[in-house]
Order: sequence, then C-alpha cells, then structure tokens
Amino acid sequence: MQPIKKLDQLIKSLEGKSPKKIAVTFAQDPNTIGAISKAVDLGFAQAIMIGDKEIIIKECKKLGVDYQKFEIIDEKNDVKAAALSVEMVRNGDADVLMKGLIGTDKFLKAVLNKEKGLLPPKAVMSYVCALDIPKYDKLLFITDTAVIPFPDLKQKIAMTKYAVNMAHKFGVENPKVALVSCTEKVNPAIQNTVNDAIICKMNQRGQIKNCVIDGPLDIFLACDKEAVKIKGVQTPINGEADVLVFPTLEACNTFYKGLMLFGGGELAGLIQGTIKPVVVMSRSESEKSKLYCIALSCLMAED
Amino acid sequence: MLITKLEQIVEMLKNKPKKRLVVVYGQDSHSIGSTSKAIDLGIVDVTLVGDEKKIKKVCNEMNIDPNKFTIVNEPEEIKSGLKAVQLINEGKGNAIMKGIISTDNYMRVLLNKEVGLVPKGSILSHITVVENPNMDRLLVVGDVAIIPYPDLKQKIAIANYLINATIKLGVEKPKLAVIAATEKANPKMPACVDASILSKMGDRGQIKNAIIDGPLALDVAIDKESAEIKGLKGEVPGNADCLLFPNIEAGNVFYKSMTKLANSPLAAIVAGAKVPAILSSRGDSEETKLYSIALATLLG
Repeated sequence: MQPIKKLDQLIKSLEGKSPKKIAVTFAQDPNTIGAISKAVDLGFAQAIMIGDKEIIIKECKKLGVDYQKFEIIDEKNDVKAAALSVEMVRNGDADVLMKGLIGTDKFLKAVLNKEKGLLPPKAVMSYVCALDIPKYDKLLFITDTAVIPFPDLKQKIAMTKYAVNMAHKFGVENPKVALVSCTEKVNPAIQNTVNDAIICKMNQRGQIKNCVIDGPLDIFLACDKEAVKIKGVQTPINGEADVLVFPTLEACNTFYKGLMLFGGGELAGLIQGTIKPVVVMSRSESEKSKLYCIALSCLMAED
Repeated sequence: MLITKLEQIVEMLKNKPKKRLVVVYGQDSHSIGSTSKAIDLGIVDVTLVGDEKKIKKVCNEMNIDPNKFTIVNEPEEIKSGLKAVQLINEGKGNAIMKGIISTDNYMRVLLNKEVGLVPKGSILSHITVVENPNMDRLLVVGDVAIIPYPDLKQKIAIANYLINATIKLGVEKPKLAVIAATEKANPKMPACVDASILSKMGDRGQIKNAIIDGPLALDVAIDKESAEIKGLKGEVPGNADCLLFPNIEAGNVFYKSMTKLANSPLAAIVAGAKVPAILSSRGDSEETKLYSIALATLLG
C-alpha cells in the first residue's frame, strides 16, 4: 500500500472498500446530519441514526437531505440513545460509534461503562489526530489533543502505540516517532524527558515495535531537516517525523490549533483505546474536517 | 597505545618522565615493599610521610635501601596525613597512597574542607581495572567500594571517571555499558530507568567521549555471542570497555568473583580528588598493589 500523504487521499483510499456501518448517537442536529450524509453519499459509510425520529426527519428536510438513505432508530432519550448505540457497536451491528447532539460527558459515560462500554479493562483512552499541513509533505499523527492532560509513562507508551497503529493504517510502514519536548537534552528535573529516554530504549530493545522512536526532540529537530543539520544532533528521525507524541495535552492542543488557524491545516481525529473507532467531533470543526473524521473512523475500522 | 594487560601499564611508565607518589603513614612493610618494587621497576618516585625511625627500621628488616625514598618525618598519624596532603597541594606529588593510616582517617584527611584534596561538589568514586585472561581487553568498572547506591548525578560522575580512565588506557572512544539485570527498559527497575537516561545522555553528547548503552545484563555487555543470540544492535553490546554497576553490591561481587574465581589481576584507585588516591588494603595481592600504583601514576 502506498502511504496516504494527504487527507483528501484518505477518502479516495476508501473507494472500493465495503462501506462501514456507523451508529450515530442522537443524530438530530444539522452538523451531524450534514457530515454523515456526505459520507454516505461518497459511499464509504452507512448510517444508523439513533435519536428522536421526528426531529431527525425534520432536520433532514430542512437541509434538503433524503432521510431514507439512513436507518433511523427512534429513541427520544439521549442517555438511552447512547446506551443503545454503544450496544450496537459492541454486538457488531455497527463498525463505528459517532457522537451527535448529546453532551460529551453523557456520551463518554456510555462508552466507558465497565460492563457494557467499549473500553477494555485497564486500556488507556487517548486521542490521535492525523494533521494535514500544506508545508509538510506528509501527514503528521499527533497525540494527545483531547483526553489525557498530563500523560505518565504508561499512558505515553499507549499513546505512542496508538499513533503508530494509525500511521500503519495509513500505509506508513515504519513510522518515525518524535517524542516532543522543548529541547533534545535529557533533563532529570523534567520527568517527561526521562520518560522519553525510557520509551526510546524500549523501542531499541523491541519492546515497542514497528516504528523508530527518538526523543526528547524539539519540533524543529522532529520536522525540519535543516535544523537537524545545523544543530548536528544525531537522530534517526532526521526532521522527517510521522508521529509527534506531545508531553502534555496543552502543548498538543495548541500545536494543532495554531496550525489550523495560521498554517492552513486540516485535521481528522479519533478516540483511541476502544474496541471499535469512536468519533467525537466538535461543532466548531470545519465541514471538511468532519468528513475526514468519519473517513478516518472507517479506515480504522478496516481489519 | 592500547593497553590490554595491566603489565603493559608498568612497561609504558618506564619510558615516561617519572611522577611522584606520596604515601601517608608509609611505615609498614606492605607500603614500603610495594613502593620499593615500583621504584626498582623505574615507574615512579616515592615520598614516604611517617615516623622516619620506623621507616628506616622496616627498610632494614626488609633489606631495602631507605635512600631510594624521599622521607618526610612526621611520627603522628593524622599529622602525617595532613602533611601528605600539603605536599600534593604544593605540587610535590602526582598521586597519593594510603599507608598504615586507618581508612577513616585517610578519607577524612582527603575530604578535609580547608586543606583536603576533594574540590567542593566533587564526587569521590572507586575505579577498578580488571584483567581477565579470557578477554582481549581490560574492563574498567565502578563503583565497587565507595558509593553504595549511586543516584543519577553520581552515576553521571562515575561514568565520566570510567570513561576518562579508559581513554588514558588507550581506548579512543570507550564503550560504556550501564549494567542491570536485563537489557529491557523495565520502568519498574530503577537501574533500567537510570540506564535509559544515561544512554540517551550519551546520544545527546551530555556525557561525552564515549558510546553509552544500557540497560545491559553483564553477559550481553561483555560477550559478543550472548549479544548476538539476543539480537542486540549497536556498538556496545558484546564490546563494553566500561561497566557501570547499579549499586555497590553488584559491583563488589563482580570484582571479587573476578579475582577469586577467575584469576583476574586488578588495579584500583579513587577518583574525584585532585590526584588519584590509592586505597589499597593489606589483603590485596602484591600484584594488585603494584598495578594500583602504576594505574594511579598513569592517571596522575
């Protein structure tokens, strides 16, 4: 498989593959309906809309969307709708779970339910995004933009593995992983740089496989060959990172938002750690990003 | 010149300008015997600080000509220590050696804040050079005798001492293995965590002039075949020149099993003072005493 280097190639890559069934919780707002309708039209998704049937049909009509292309399950209570959609994904009646007009808290409560949810016991839940920046000639897989504020070593290892797994699904065979910090030096007073040294060694010893990891590295050394030359740092990443694992949520969140705002970036993200892909989008995301998110979930649902 | 046997240090020193060794309370047969031999081999000049009468008496008993030594008369134990330190501070010696002064008093004198030899903030550590008949190279190891449970900062200091000593022994870019019970980076084992940090510090040039890898178990650190079987990549596995032990027990058991079970002669000094310090014990073999004097002279 040729690696997917830009997000528009992501949708193309799904052509010819069987469409994935997406269970949409409380799919009754124009944002959700618009995005999922487009995904269905493009042929890579089928939608099961769980929510208030009357409202769904009404919203579809307002948008000029033919509601008959969706399977609609009538459930007027948002918490019950969440439980039902999670159950469908658990049972294999759907391949992907997606959040509609329900509070994130209520939605995640259903996802994280110990008996009936989608997160295996002890699994780390995290968030990985594929970031498409015009100035970088390939995608950057970044984590964690949304879930873990201050990852500890165990969480950071899990985050790294999730991002590497996503890169593999995009056809990047041996992704280069940079553990991002503000410097390339190990500083025992900064726990993150210590964790980075451990993760690197785990990679060298085959405890984390199918990728090349180095860190701590700053963003320049991770993503800019010239900077590597100038600084003379020996690093297998060599300014060509595929994956950036950030030390904190704030750093990662700021990085992608800055690039969306000033760098023309586009983004697709997904919750990680669950047995099936879970899509949680914010209303402020662009139409394009929403479509990419759904496409990403379908790619990740491929075996 | 690459030194692969301890005997070669002695040979090398014969052709170099002579340095001077100062012996604290050097009035017992062990110190006088070993330093006399070093003088006879032409590798060092020796100043004995101690009770001149006793020194001459012991020399007489051992059939040693006392005139080969520079003798500084100071019959009192602690004062002889202070005198020896003063000589070093005045530039009248390149290495210091413990005679019959107690180890406690010897260390106290070295560490004396006003007149001692240990700069403020400097970390004293013990370096041992082991020669094993089955190996094609010397092993420079630490710390087997002074720091019981080195923290990261102390391990960095030990690493630097080992690296510097190994370079003096002719290895251009020493390979340093940080020893643990496994080569896996197990976050639950502090030795593995520190080893990972030291290894990355080596990659980043924060510890210079060496290639550092760890954690490595002893077998894969020094034995090529073991390293190959385990599929360990890199230059250090199987080729280590320096071994940095996680604690004194591991290091101590290693060097003692090397001497007692594997017929390995060795040399040892204390690093971290202004000059190399010899801390030989009466239990050391004649060979070890001579080699330690040679090593201190080489590094001094």
